[in-house]
Amino acid sequence: MDDLLADFIAETREMLEASGGELVAWEADPADRARLDTIFRFVHTVKGNCGFFDFPRLASLSHAAEDALADCRAGRREPDQQLVSAVLAVIDRIAQMIDVIEAGEDLASFGPDGADAALIAELDVSQETAGKPGLDGVKQGSNLPLHAPADALLAAGDDQAAPHRRSDPSPAGQRTIRLPVELLDRVMSGVSDMVLARNDLAHRLRQAGNQPTIDGPFERLTTILSDVRDAITRMRMQRIETLFSALPRLVRDLSAELGKQVMVDLDGGDVELDREMIETIRDPLTHIIRNAIDHGLEPPSARLANGKREIGLITIAARQSGNTISIVLSDDGRGLDEERIIAKAIATGLVTPAERAALPRDKILNLIFEPGFSTAETVSNVSGRGVGLDVVRQNLEKVGGSIKVASVPGHGTAFTLQIPLTLSIIAGLTVEVAGHRFAIPQSYVEEIVQGSARSLDLTRMGETALVTFRGNRVPCLMLGEVLGLDTDAMAAREPTLVMLRLANRELLALAVESIHNHGDLVVKPLAPAVMKSGLYAGSTLLDDGQPVLLLDVANIAGQHHLVSDARARVIGPSEAEAAGPTRAAARAMLFTDFAGRRAAVRLELVQRIETAPLSAIDHSAARPRMVIDGLILPLIGLPEAGPTPDRKNGRVRLLRLSDGACELLYAVREVEDAAELTEALHPVPEDPLVEAITLIGGAPVTLIDAHELFARHGEPPVAAQRPRCLLPDGEWARTILAPLVTGAGYEIVAEAEADKGAISILFEDVYEVAEALGRPLPDHVIRLRDQPDAPPGSATIYRYDREGLLAALAAAHRAASPTAIGEAA
Amino acid sequence: MTGDLLVIAQIAGRRCALSALDVKSVIELGTITPIPRTPAWIAGITALRSQALTVIDCRHAIGIAAGHDVGEWPTDHRAAVVADGGHSYALLVDGIEDITTAVGEAGQVPGGFGPDWSRVAIGMIETMVGPALLIDLPALLAGPESARHEIEAAA
Repeated sequence: MDDLLADFIAETREMLEASGGELVAWEADPADRARLDTIFRFVHTVKGNCGFFDFPRLASLSHAAEDALADCRAGRREPDQQLVSAVLAVIDRIAQMIDVIEAGEDLASFGPDGADAALIAELDVSQETAGKPGLDGVKQGSNLPLHAPADALLAAGDDQAAPHRRSDPSPAGQRTIRLPVELLDRVMSGVSDMVLARNDLAHRLRQAGNQPTIDGPFERLTTILSDVRDAITRMRMQRIETLFSALPRLVRDLSAELGKQVMVDLDGGDVELDREMIETIRDPLTHIIRNAIDHGLEPPSARLANGKREIGLITIAARQSGNTISIVLSDDGRGLDEERIIAKAIATGLVTPAERAALPRDKILNLIFEPGFSTAETVSNVSGRGVGLDVVRQNLEKVGGSIKVASVPGHGTAFTLQIPLTLSIIAGLTVEVAGHRFAIPQSYVEEIVQGSARSLDLTRMGETALVTFRGNRVPCLMLGEVLGLDTDAMAAREPTLVMLRLANRELLALAVESIHNHGDLVVKPLAPAVMKSGLYAGSTLLDDGQPVLLLDVANIAGQHHLVSDARARVIGPSEAEAAGPTRAAARAMLFTDFAGRRAAVRLELVQRIETAPLSAIDHSAARPRMVIDGLILPLIGLPEAGPTPDRKNGRVRLLRLSDGACELLYAVREVEDAAELTEALHPVPEDPLVEAITLIGGAPVTLIDAHELFARHGEPPVAAQRPRCLLPDGEWARTILAPLVTGAGYEIVAEAEADKGAISILFEDVYEVAEALGRPLPDHVIRLRDQPDAPPGSATIYRYDREGLLAALAAAHRAASPTAIGEAA
Repeated sequence: MTGDLLVIAQIAGRRCALSALDVKSVIELGTITPIPRTPAWIAGITALRSQALTVIDCRHAIGIAAGHDVGEWPTDHRAAVVADGGHSYALLVDGIEDITTAVGEAGQVPGGFGPDWSRVAIGMIETMVGPALLIDLPALLAGPESARHEIEAAA
């Protein structure tokens, strides 16, 4: 019986959440038959269930609502503002009662029966008073006599006899079952156990030497296990829709309370997110919506005066990009007032009047996230409840997210929230200090620098340490000291620095003794007593089963006052940028080219060091070229003698040089190091490609003349060369095919945006159907089949045939855009 | 309470009882990874299959170890695994003795158990192997600081 009751509660909850949005949509358009049906179904189900469980009060409430809605369905009554409000009130009451039932309390403790009767009376009363003006604060637009044509409803009324038996049209797609989260967690930890056991086994197998009879099945086990692990991870995911579905109701209630008219537009509800993460962003999102309605949107009269639509628009869109989800929440209100923000910031001492002139607009706007900042002069009932945007930012940063704001005066404001996909599995780096190992979330790690204390210019300023990184002074924390560990003095002299990029874009160096490895870490929560130290965010197990603590980087930085100082944060970067170049001597990247010559190129020109396979070099034109990151770049420095120089396993090292507009690749035999140009430069007039010869470390080095180099070879990169590709619908295509196609350098486009040159990937069955029906087929199409073995004469590719797929993509691309290739070559 | 199964363990030389319902298992302790900058009663974390357990040194958690030499008591290589608030803990004790049944209700003794013990004890309980102090698990896991906070708050 208890199980049944729990199911009833869970089911009712779920329906409550789903119906919130439906109710508001129905209110906006009472003629919307489908919405009415959904709500009717909800109260009908509740009524049926609670009769079964003997909750007479719940039954009478839902019965009354069902009656009223049935009248609407039959056309005996037209839905109006009062009815919607009354039904909403009943549903709210049902929600409260469900809470009481779940807590195991007696329903009698929950207010007198009379309150229910009043609500029920409301349902009936509203029928007679339908014509009279609406509730206080509700603007005209929403209580206009609603134009549901009664006869239209009547016409559809004949299916009323068995309304709940019709197949449900709204929740489309997959069948689902409900599971307790605890069970999922158990399965997940079971799989983690299996991974550990596998690692152990792998270790033993390696010791025992090669055993072909065992290695094969073991490989299979490994593959299966990683598949299962992926699937389990996805089980924890939930569509962000569950969060979105509550928002229309929230917006409706708030706008009614504040006398504003607001329309909400939701997009991207199918984006999936870890359940825990959804809970984490619920409050921040609600807070921003409150702000937008309260402060952002003008009253209807002001909007009309400004030539805007009377109804304000709030758009919420969720997008997934890689391992992060971005949620953009924008309104078309009055926008943020730069002057008022700056005035307030000066008044509260966040910035000084002298600093303000130097502040660009976006930095001023982002001041609103600073602690103790709130521009609203009048604190209304809705916003300004003591929770500021600083708390919103803090909460997001706690889970590794960030928030920023952009605004155009008079046109609106957009908040962008970036949040990691999941809390529980993150990419991490393992570091060691004084014999202890710790993990750092990869998302913070900007770069790893190794070197002696002297070369890093490690200096102690009082208790604080500073290092010089690319000409900037960066605060440095010794992890050993932070954690109160006895560190080896030897190791401290040659630290490894992990450069961390904090959520506010500030850099922080963390000195550790060594770096172990990186990989995906399954993060588990820590006991509250451990969390209290504020240094750790969770624990994880390494492959060898050793537990390791995950450092809470943001909090550690905060404890050392590296993030809380708002002024330094706002002013800091520009000062650092200004101070950087003046003190450092000119630096150059030292390398050996394919002629065996030691040469150098000024460091500012070097964008990146790339390693690329030789096969990526395109020799089809007079000058070789190479595609890197979707750009076609000229390639120089290869030996004239032909493409067989000394190269490590078919790969070649490249310096990617840029003068700001043009880029080119310089192939080198070996990249040495960055060095300072301290000695005199001797010009070499006879070779235009050489700027000078100088001494570095006592040996002569040729400094390449960048001016001549770019004059001869530079050309702006051919941008947006990424060919476009259209994928089939479905989960498989989105999660498995898309990364492969993107990784191969193709841009994935939606069907609507696909132009003629786009390559379509279709499943064979879909293709056949389209062909059979004579639908227009795309010009360039790749057909996928499900079975590894091809039927004879088939032009299809097995869906897991990676090589075949890539080859087909390349072929289709050549066919699709011969001109583009020609230009590039 | 009569007939309830109890796990009997020695903590700081005293015989203590834990409700067997709270104790999920008794494990052989592997390596304990210490956690820097945490109170002394948190001995570290250890791995139990894929789970990380927080290891609690009961002697310190009760608060009596402060005035004593830590080496005064032996430490069992086994630990009792308990769960509270969704987190799992391994309890480090002098020795895990036995599983037995209670033969009475938990009760108080005249004069009390002393402030440290009173904080973590539900009361004295008679068992098949003699009297033992029944431990209040959440109070034990809250650590000795919590008591001090309460006292400060009251003062």
